[in-house]
Amino acid sequence: MPPRRSLPMRLRSAWTLLYLAIFALSGCEPLNKARDVLTKSDQERKTIKLGILHSQTGTMGMNEMSLRHCEVLAIEQINASGELSNVDLVPVVKDGRSKSDIFRRRTRELVDVEKVDVIFGCWTSLHRKAVIDELDNPTDLFRTEPVARNSAQPHKPLLFYPLQYEGFEVNRNVFYFGSTPNQQILPALDWFMSQQGGSRKRVYLIGSDYLFPRTANFIVRKYLEKQSMQVVGEDYLPLGHSDFKDSIRRIAETSPDLILSTINGDSNFYFYKQYYESGARPDSTPIVATSVGEDELRRIPPEYVHGHFAAWSYFQSLDTPQSQEFVKSFKRAYGLDRVVDDPMEAAYTQVMVWKEAYKRAKSSDPMKIREVLEKGLEFDAPGGKIKVDPKTHHLYKKFRLGKTGLDRQFEIVYESKDLIAPEPFPSFAFPGWECDWTRNGLTKGPMPTIGL
Amino acid sequence: MFYWIYDIPSVALALIITGAFVAFSWLGTIFIRPFLRVFLRKRADINDLIGYMLSCFGVFYGLLLGLLAVAAYQNFTGVETIVSKEASSLSALARDVSAYPEPDRTNLIWLLRDYTRYVVKYAWPAQQQGMVPQEGNTRMIAFHEQLIRFEPSTPGQEILHAEALRQFNNYLEARRLRLFAVTTSIPGVMWAVVLVGALMNIALIWMFDMKIVNHLFLGGILSAFMGLMIFLIASLDNPFRGELSISSAPFQDILTHLMEE
Repeated sequence: MPPRRSLPMRLRSAWTLLYLAIFALSGCEPLNKARDVLTKSDQERKTIKLGILHSQTGTMGMNEMSLRHCEVLAIEQINASGELSNVDLVPVVKDGRSKSDIFRRRTRELVDVEKVDVIFGCWTSLHRKAVIDELDNPTDLFRTEPVARNSAQPHKPLLFYPLQYEGFEVNRNVFYFGSTPNQQILPALDWFMSQQGGSRKRVYLIGSDYLFPRTANFIVRKYLEKQSMQVVGEDYLPLGHSDFKDSIRRIAETSPDLILSTINGDSNFYFYKQYYESGARPDSTPIVATSVGEDELRRIPPEYVHGHFAAWSYFQSLDTPQSQEFVKSFKRAYGLDRVVDDPMEAAYTQVMVWKEAYKRAKSSDPMKIREVLEKGLEFDAPGGKIKVDPKTHHLYKKFRLGKTGLDRQFEIVYESKDLIAPEPFPSFAFPGWECDWTRNGLTKGPMPTIGL
Repeated sequence: MFYWIYDIPSVALALIITGAFVAFSWLGTIFIRPFLRVFLRKRADINDLIGYMLSCFGVFYGLLLGLLAVAAYQNFTGVETIVSKEASSLSALARDVSAYPEPDRTNLIWLLRDYTRYVVKYAWPAQQQGMVPQEGNTRMIAFHEQLIRFEPSTPGQEILHAEALRQFNNYLEARRLRLFAVTTSIPGVMWAVVLVGALMNIALIWMFDMKIVNHLFLGGILSAFMGLMIFLIASLDNPFRGELSISSAPFQDILTHLMEE
């Protein structure tokens, strides 16, 4: 039997073998990755949850799906760009199910369970008001955590709202990315009263019977009191209404030279169809719609809407590099047959604006984001430059008027030269009401009789 | 508990597990063997005795490892079958609704696209982290709402609608099974038995009396094989985790098709 080597000698041989093995394998890529996992040498990444609260089911499901898509697209683009170094934005999507109480419940979940700092969401004013109320006055029933009665600063995320709406509302924690009536409806009426728009003098107001059309038409009536145009008729029909024969008969009787439509949802299909079948044509009495965008046009045969108008701040046909890039990226993500419209552009923009505010605040804290936005942040959106109004938390935006073509797109016939300042409380309609968050906040005047 | 192993590339994981077993065996051979020899060297027939023990123990341990490997493989292929069935139902459903009249056709296709994109981009990565993705439920409800809103107006549409509803139910069933499979794995207690068994096996090897080089070589081979078997079971154990996991490729194919619809 050969003499045994001493223990130190044997140990030395073993370690030499081990070193040789490690040296040989150190150039191996899978092992390098394994080393990263084992030693966690990757820089720690921070995750920020962003709440997305829209109806995915129920009557508003299809409309709000498009907004959700734009918001998720923006988040994916931000993550892919690596602009926010070491930060992963995670969309937390909740379904409001087209019901106000469900919007409230989901809001509470986003705040209490998911602890989000911002919520992008809502379509209808009813749901927006429910969410705002839940943020301001939490419902104990929906709470998932014990109520912290003594908490001096309860966590309250910001709400970013993407739709055009009726105005007459402000909230310190809400930023409104859609147009107010003075940025959408009134410039449209101005254009139709001008020579270019046919110097029209008789307008018929028709709308769905809920908050936005009633309030918007209240503002229109007040505005037209001192203009050359007069309101010759006003009609409200329930949401989802499909028989417009009586309304069209009344329109014919009053002989307007313009119809301002605030009809929402599927009713638009029936209204345009029956208007077309009545023999009325846009050459003599055009309809200018405030709630019909490219996404709604796909449900209406083109001949019914051809030649009519829509008032928005953004149209897909806007021929700028930013707009075309937005359209392309959306189609790439969700399908070549998809279209974008004004609310979708606003939904996309609001996420991008939040990102800009985050970069400057270096924090997702709602109060710090609000502080940055209240400095009047400017941003190059797909629809052009926008600016946050520090006084009202609305946007300075452009107005555009589009004429419907047979290709289910709008030809932009007019664009405001400058950005229009938002007026959630136009003085001619709401005397005594004003808002300036940089100074006194909201000053209330006498409550107007809107006729809701 | 040891889910981080699925973040490691398979080749590296195989090398690490095998290497760990071999290293453990070698360290024991170098450091513990001299102490064991003090007690065991007194018997001349010690190698025969340990050989019998190791053979006997090896049969039971080998059976345990073998059965576990087969069970893990069967579970893996079972889940793979569920996923392919689910993808087939989804594909058939997409084909059915693409024959619906407008505007229902476009609405249904867009909703399916929305769902499939979610599965590929969000649900699958969540599954790979061992989380059961929940948001797909809402998307399925939205699709179902839109589907049942359709009122067939011709006998052909009635047949088509009935077939679409049948496919939808098939799909829901397969989807439910997939979600159940996300958290299916070998129980922790079984893993404990496997690891303790491996330790006992290696400890028995340390007890042999032979030249150190031979000891290191033979012990290393046996430990390496045990390490490889354990790597195999671990890789197949969680079908949605790791490099060897079931991929979302069938859903990606459907999404590509739906995007062009």
